[in-house]
Amino acid sequence: MNHAMYAVLKKDFRGIVSNRRLFTELLIVPLVLTIILPSICVVAVHFAPDDPDIVKMIEMLPQGGRAESLEIAVAGLIFNYILPVFFLMIPIMTASIMAASSFVGEKEKHTLETLLYCPLSVKQIFQAKVLASFLFSMLVSLISFIAMLAVLELEVFFIMGSPLAPAAGWLVILFLLAPSISLIAVTLIVRGSAKAQSVEESQQGAVFLIIPVILLAAGQFSGVMLLNVWILLGLSVVCALLAWALLQKAMGRFTYEMLLK
Amino acid sequence: MQTILLENLAKTFPGGKEAVKGISLSLEQGEVFGFLGPNGAGKTTTVKLLNGILAPSSGRCSVLGFDPAREPERVHAVSGVLTEHAQMYDNMTGLQNLIFYAEIFGISEGEGRKRAMNLMEKLELEDAAERKLAAYSTGMRQRLSLARAMIHRPEVLFLDEPTSGLDPESAQNVNRLIRELAGEQGTTIFLCTHQLRYAQEICNRYGLIDEGRLLAGGTFEELREEVAPGAELQIRAGNLPERMLQELSGEKSLRNADVGNIRWKFTEEKPVNFGKMLSLKIQSEEEVPGIIRQIVGEGGNIYEVKISRPSLEDIYFSLTAKGKEEQP
Repeated sequence: MNHAMYAVLKKDFRGIVSNRRLFTELLIVPLVLTIILPSICVVAVHFAPDDPDIVKMIEMLPQGGRAESLEIAVAGLIFNYILPVFFLMIPIMTASIMAASSFVGEKEKHTLETLLYCPLSVKQIFQAKVLASFLFSMLVSLISFIAMLAVLELEVFFIMGSPLAPAAGWLVILFLLAPSISLIAVTLIVRGSAKAQSVEESQQGAVFLIIPVILLAAGQFSGVMLLNVWILLGLSVVCALLAWALLQKAMGRFTYEMLLK
Repeated sequence: MQTILLENLAKTFPGGKEAVKGISLSLEQGEVFGFLGPNGAGKTTTVKLLNGILAPSSGRCSVLGFDPAREPERVHAVSGVLTEHAQMYDNMTGLQNLIFYAEIFGISEGEGRKRAMNLMEKLELEDAAERKLAAYSTGMRQRLSLARAMIHRPEVLFLDEPTSGLDPESAQNVNRLIRELAGEQGTTIFLCTHQLRYAQEICNRYGLIDEGRLLAGGTFEELREEVAPGAELQIRAGNLPERMLQELSGEKSLRNADVGNIRWKFTEEKPVNFGKMLSLKIQSEEEVPGIIRQIVGEGGNIYEVKISRPSLEDIYFSLTAKGKEEQP
């Protein structure tokens, strides 16, 4: 990355942090998905009566026999099987907010033309924009995970008396799947943003990216597919390859003239 | 050294609009070139072609030897561009904006800050340096854009209506800065404007464009020679010899009169305090003493003598009218 691209990246970061409305939008989703939702689950598990159906289901799950109590087993189930799917929405949502305004936001404010007169190729501008959104969504995801882990561990420890053990799948999600999904989302959204005429149009297009994650959540809930480390690893590899291919394809397709249309 | 070169440059947009139709011209280093034409004449499109933002439909151009269509980044590295649509970030202060663009051009933050402050001082923006751009007036934004275009000390400056929105004082200040750049630093200035009086003040060569065609090019004297050679001598004189007066005022419809060796023409009769206003077409200033001597010799009193030459505006209107007549 050269000096000019770093300057664009720094400016984009500063732009999102100084925009209070966008920053609040960015914080709401992670706050709901990593603090409020898990907390509700923990409280619900603690106060729910010992349902025989749940006991039966827990016994069927691979982790069921190892837990100290039913409460911990259900909390672990939620933490390691349900929350990861919700967590994956964070990089997509963050990316959609920042990346959607990357090109079209500059176009709307008449700053894109100024950027095009700088000694940067379209490819470099595209790379800088993708990198800014990607790094930002990764940063938000990581902070969200740390916050979620801290809050959940404290809640579970104080309410149920024993800490939760995060499954290895979280490592795959944090360092492989989330970055790949984020890169796919960012590339597609930035590409869409370059063609869109308004930020709203770009954001509307980005909403469709959440559909695969919703399907994944439906799969988890209905028991069609239970995400284990190997499935997550396979999914990560597929997503990473897809992200790389999309990025390569998107980088070569734009010209100055197309961006200013 | 040729800084900017255009050879049969043409641009037709996908909709079929021919914005630039085969323009050829070249600019030397340190020139202040006035690219004049009405709105929609093709000035901004030419600037975009010269910066590689648009790809030409035919012909070619180069800036300092770089082809903008093939190496736009190299052209951008040596040129600064000011256009109406090239704005800066409202959420950043004037100084932050300039430092950001300096960094993009590979200048360190410290050096960028120094240059930015220096330029802001020259453009009388130092008091607004720490103010967010959202609070800037149109004129202040325009001056800051000029500072932005100059932050990396470009060898070529493309200025599209640099004084639009500026008050006369600021416009004068900007003019001084442009002259300084061209004169002292040898920066080549490609200035697009439709403000002809302003252009006449600052440019040393011109290109007149209308509907994508270059109507004429050259120095002011060359353009004047092409459109209206010579000058008009205006004399307000009284107590003219009877013979001269009779012939001049005899018939209103007769606009020309031969008096002695002089062929007079009434271009306009103005109510004046003394004498009559007479106009005469001359080829050179050398003819003036002879004419004065002749009037005085025949007993006339001269109250006022002036030579009137066509302004850039007159030349421009004459050329655009001619251009329209020649169009099929």
